[in-house]
Amino acid sequence: MPQGDYIDLHRKRHGYRHDHFERKRKKEAREVHKQSAIAQKALGIKGKMFAKKRYAEKALMKKTLAMHEESSSRRKVDDEVHEGALPAYLLDRETTTRAKVLSNTIKQKRKEKAGKWEVPLPKVRPVAEDEMFRVIRSGKRKTKQWKRMVTKATFVGPSFTRKPPKYERFIRPTGLRFTKAHVTHPELKCTFNLEIIGVKKNPNGQMYTSLGVITKGTIIEVNVSELGLVTPAGKVVWGKYAQVTNNPENDGCINGVLLV
Amino acid sequence: MVQYNFKKITVVPTGKDFIDIILSRTQRQTPTVVHKGYAISRLRQFYMRKVKYTQQNFHEKLSAIIDEFPRLDDIHPFYGDLLHVLYNKDHYKLALGQINTARNLIGKISKDYVKLLKYGDSLYRCKSLKVAALGRMCTVIKRVSPSLAYLEQIRQHMARLPSIDPNTRTILICGYPNVGKSSFINKITRADVDVQPYAFTTKSLFVGHTDYKYLRYQVIDTPGILDRPFEDRNIIEMCSITALAHLRAAVLFFLDISGSCGYNIAQQAALFHSIKSLFMNKPLIVVCNKTDLQPLDGLSEEDMKLVVEMKAEAMKTVIGQGGEATDSDEVLLTMSTLTEEGVIAVKNSACERLLNQRVELKMKSKKINDCLNRFHVAVPKKRDEKERPPCIPQAVLEAKAKEAADIEKRKLERDLENENGGAGVYSASLRKHHILADEEWKEDIMPEILDGHNVYDFIDPDILQRLEELEREEGLRLEQEVDNDDFEMDGKELTPEEQEALAEIRKKKSLLIQQHRIKKSTAESRPTVPRKFDKERKFSSERMGRQLSALGLDPTSAINRARSNSVPMRGRKRERSLAKGDDGNDAMDMDVDQSSKKLRMMSRSRSRSTSRPPGEVVPGEGYRDSKQKVHAMKLAKKSVKKRNKDARRGEADRVIPTLRPKHLFSGKRGIGKTTRR
Repeated sequence: MPQGDYIDLHRKRHGYRHDHFERKRKKEAREVHKQSAIAQKALGIKGKMFAKKRYAEKALMKKTLAMHEESSSRRKVDDEVHEGALPAYLLDRETTTRAKVLSNTIKQKRKEKAGKWEVPLPKVRPVAEDEMFRVIRSGKRKTKQWKRMVTKATFVGPSFTRKPPKYERFIRPTGLRFTKAHVTHPELKCTFNLEIIGVKKNPNGQMYTSLGVITKGTIIEVNVSELGLVTPAGKVVWGKYAQVTNNPENDGCINGVLLV
Repeated sequence: MVQYNFKKITVVPTGKDFIDIILSRTQRQTPTVVHKGYAISRLRQFYMRKVKYTQQNFHEKLSAIIDEFPRLDDIHPFYGDLLHVLYNKDHYKLALGQINTARNLIGKISKDYVKLLKYGDSLYRCKSLKVAALGRMCTVIKRVSPSLAYLEQIRQHMARLPSIDPNTRTILICGYPNVGKSSFINKITRADVDVQPYAFTTKSLFVGHTDYKYLRYQVIDTPGILDRPFEDRNIIEMCSITALAHLRAAVLFFLDISGSCGYNIAQQAALFHSIKSLFMNKPLIVVCNKTDLQPLDGLSEEDMKLVVEMKAEAMKTVIGQGGEATDSDEVLLTMSTLTEEGVIAVKNSACERLLNQRVELKMKSKKINDCLNRFHVAVPKKRDEKERPPCIPQAVLEAKAKEAADIEKRKLERDLENENGGAGVYSASLRKHHILADEEWKEDIMPEILDGHNVYDFIDPDILQRLEELEREEGLRLEQEVDNDDFEMDGKELTPEEQEALAEIRKKKSLLIQQHRIKKSTAESRPTVPRKFDKERKFSSERMGRQLSALGLDPTSAINRARSNSVPMRGRKRERSLAKGDDGNDAMDMDVDQSSKKLRMMSRSRSRSTSRPPGEVVPGEGYRDSKQKVHAMKLAKKSVKKRNKDARRGEADRVIPTLRPKHLFSGKRGIGKTTRR
């Protein structure tokens, strides 16, 4: 025992108080009442936090109790039916299944032609123009109102240079420019911080796509070389589409789901 | 170099607690009320403040952790190595590094979100940004919580490390397990190290302190070292190796020559030779312990040879320091911790050698030259060849000799106790030296209660005599009173001087009465403040005596009367007061020294037997009967009570001590809003 462990040393030499264990037991028994007093008296934010914590504890307690009460009982086992399994009276028929193996590129080309994509958020709340832009007054007497400042998150690309300020109609402030997005892979269920390559389509309009505005539901193209995906032909995939699933201007970051 | 104190590192909270603390602090210390209709700049500022405040708090607390934990490169190499052995330097540095990155990340998050908040154009947007910012900061801390838990454990362990000063005089004890190192340190210091028959009882370093030549030495007990290659050593052994390697100390290598530790001398000698490189430049002493089981001379040939080899090695260190080569006594010592023979010799020798080494080093160093110039030892010059030894009177020498003889001759009570069975068995007879009339009464048992009374209350050797005296005095007093009454009836018998004296006395008395009436006040008609005692000492019996003798009268009987009636005397028994009446001079001069509380307790009313009962009210003063008077008194008291409780001096006292007490004018409410105060 190290020299500084005074409590343990004292216990080793002198033992416990004669009523130590009884007092300990009683104190633990009283904890229940104390907890309930706190639960009833705590008000305001403290009360809410305590209630939340307590709820989680109780849920866990119930689970463990249920686990302890589980008895090993025998139940009927259902035979799993495989897909495509034929019932016995149809077994003789030979069914030929013909399937065309289509390559991924053909599938994508077809989808593009149709103009339809299967996306996680098919419908998005439309954003009005006055929500998207803010009017900037300019001119000597501040009467001209032809300039607009974008109030949502934007992406401008690495080689972007502004138009001369005098002629610039749409201002995209630097504070609202994002370069990276947190993209989740739907199957792997993990999130990566990937660079944005470009804005593919903004559901609110073509003007916003060309401006590079990113709102909820926008399709963006991200750099997936980190993931190390490879085509069947052996080529490395470095760009993929993802759809934005949050409001970037409210959260300060772009979260999206990868479209596989 | 930053000074580190391992015991003063602040507690590192767990991840969850950390988040709770900071978030609740933000909620308490920043404004909480905001409405949609406020100006947008006000909304932005409100939320930016919260984000910045949270970041500042995180920064403060994380910086405190990083600063208070010692940097292993900045502390003394002994501690650096010890901490490395105990906690693994890499893990430790990693944990602290993670905390550092967390701190930087939180700073970045705060900066980014404050920038974004500048573009917030609605309450909802600003609020969401603030929620996102705080959430991200808390996630950073959640990720770092295992490091926090690890650092908390380290902190707890570090705070309990023994406080070893690496720079002071140190004696290090090393050797195989079970050779008697801990018993030795228990003997010379007050460290209570566990001593058990199994090996590796001591699992960490223990420190004790001992004195030698008015200097304090720290003695460090190490866990036993086994003879193994360096890489195989476990943490416990590494502690001792670290101590040996880094501390400049005198080393005592313990040898168990009886072999009862389970290892023979050959193994111990092998260990000695394998670690002898660590003994470089340190005064080394080889100590042979457990000589009560096996004396040094009784060793076999090979064992003796091994021991001599070790001694030779140790001699090398002596020579290395410039000592003489013939001093073999100092290097190899024998002792036994059980019988305590040789223990002090070992300690003294170790301390002496260490001291000499340190002094020599200091003399050789450059710093000493600064000091040497300032010393000058002045020795008186010899006047002539006459010898002048110190002069001690013969009587003193004889007395000293006699005292010494006396002490030897006298048998102490303690010796008597030890002879008769020890502390629990023998109880000394305390009445051995009592002086009594008959010697046989010494061991008699005194009764304590007799007929329901305490015997001690009635004990007095001269009790009958005192009773007689008391009755005599009582008779005298009665006569005197009668005489006095007669005396006062015919005032013509007074001589002119006596008449003058009488007049003066009466005048003085009336003055006193007037003064008293002015000051008289009961507690109910005056604010209750503690009663101070008569500081000016105006009313002491001495003063009265002086004044009476100034008037030409004999004050002794008056003083006695006053004293017997005074407050400390009132509760006393009659015998005592009579006895005190005789020798009035050494009577208690207590009227000035008694505390006022005690005086109040023994008030005059208690000793009176013919006074009025406490609640009685005399009718009169314009009242119809006692009942009405009582009612009037009650009303008077009631009207005054409230004022007294507020400590007001009277009806017109309207002073407000503090115009704006802090507790009413500041602070947030526990629940609810603070729109009015």
